[in-house]
Amino acid sequence: MGAERLVVIGGDAAGMSAAAQAKRLNRNLDVIAFEKGPHTSYSA
Amino acid sequence: MTPETFKSEYGIDARVLHEVEEIDPENRRVLVKDLQSKKGRWEPYDRLLIATGAVPFCPKVPGSDAPGIYGLHSLQSGITVRNVVDTERPRRAVVVGGGYIGLEMAEALLLRGLEVSLVERGTQVMNTLDPDMGALVSKALVEVGINLYLEESLEAFEAAGGRVTAVVTDRRTLPADLVILGLGVRPNTALAQRAGIPLGVRGAIRVNDRMQTDTPGIWAAGDCAESFHLVSRRPVHIALGTIANKQGRVAGINIGGGYATFPGVVGTAVSKICKWEVARTGLQEREIRQLGLEFATATIKSTTRAGYYPQAGPITVKALAEKGSGRLLGAQIVGIEGAAKRIDIFATALHAGMSVQEMINLDLSYAPPYSNVWDPVLVAVRQADREVRSAS
Repeated sequence: MGAERLVVIGGDAAGMSAAAQAKRLNRNLDVIAFEKGPHTSYSA
Repeated sequence: MTPETFKSEYGIDARVLHEVEEIDPENRRVLVKDLQSKKGRWEPYDRLLIATGAVPFCPKVPGSDAPGIYGLHSLQSGITVRNVVDTERPRRAVVVGGGYIGLEMAEALLLRGLEVSLVERGTQVMNTLDPDMGALVSKALVEVGINLYLEESLEAFEAAGGRVTAVVTDRRTLPADLVILGLGVRPNTALAQRAGIPLGVRGAIRVNDRMQTDTPGIWAAGDCAESFHLVSRRPVHIALGTIANKQGRVAGINIGGGYATFPGVVGTAVSKICKWEVARTGLQEREIRQLGLEFATATIKSTTRAGYYPQAGPITVKALAEKGSGRLLGAQIVGIEGAAKRIDIFATALHAGMSVQEMINLDLSYAPPYSNVWDPVLVAVRQADREVRSAS
């Protein structure tokens, strides 16, 4: 079995904050974010 | 931050131009379409976060699909409007809707030298303020040179040569080279709804205070999700980046194996139109009446710095408190530079459940460049305290 996988739908404030936070806590988590637009955004 | 930096600095695989079309909670997978290759495929998940945001309300009136009409809801839509202003040199802009987006776009277009008109269906702009405070903002809009049309409803858009040429209201036709829609947003939850994930207030995804939905393995955060209002003690939907970032943080900690909660919001927001700052927090009169509470209000005028200090200017502060208990219920501020961030004092007091009487002795900072010895916030809560005690 591979690593646990988090899928995020939406690459803006909430989605990317969560993605970064989850990855920070669990380095083994496989995190993939899908954004329909051309940009992602995040302010740590 | 770009997908490349997410990859290199965070180890996150962020794929833009990829749209999730279906969620299959039963088999824990999502159908993802690559918008460039047009190919779709199922991607498995152990945990899923829905952060699909909100979408602008689009008026269902004739001509609303004409080129030259823009909603502002993403970085890309902002870039698009800026490019239009740069390359097509529009002269006349009409903004439909007098909320935050409408006001801020009106300011931006004014600064770019356009003639700006603003159409609002209600009797005031900024309907998250009470009518008396909203009237101050309306006055400020006129003062900075915006043509303001209140109590006029949008009936149609006119177009010619494949471009919008005018906005038609029930009272007039306003010529327009560029139209901005600022009619508010609704949570973008069609995808979640199709997957059977329970929705709550105003169609926002229902979540608990760890940002979990009612469907196992699925979380939601941001403009697509509900919040809990700490003053009304009811679920609300407020689409603001402040809330989205905090909810995202909490969701991420929980998904990553930690433990965090997001207790709720008090409805704090600020905006700016040229030199005028506008701020609000808590409940406004309309919301307090809906809850059936009795309340007192105090509206005071003061100055942003000591009256004799250079650049001191007007500030109006309104405080709302419950009769009897004196519990602070909300506050609104309109004034020049230095006014708006004072709302954070009220926001903090709302979180703490303070009464206006308790607020009177708050040890707030003072020196002439920053305030009078009685800060306008304290003047307002003193007045509110008197009103709370007086027989109605």
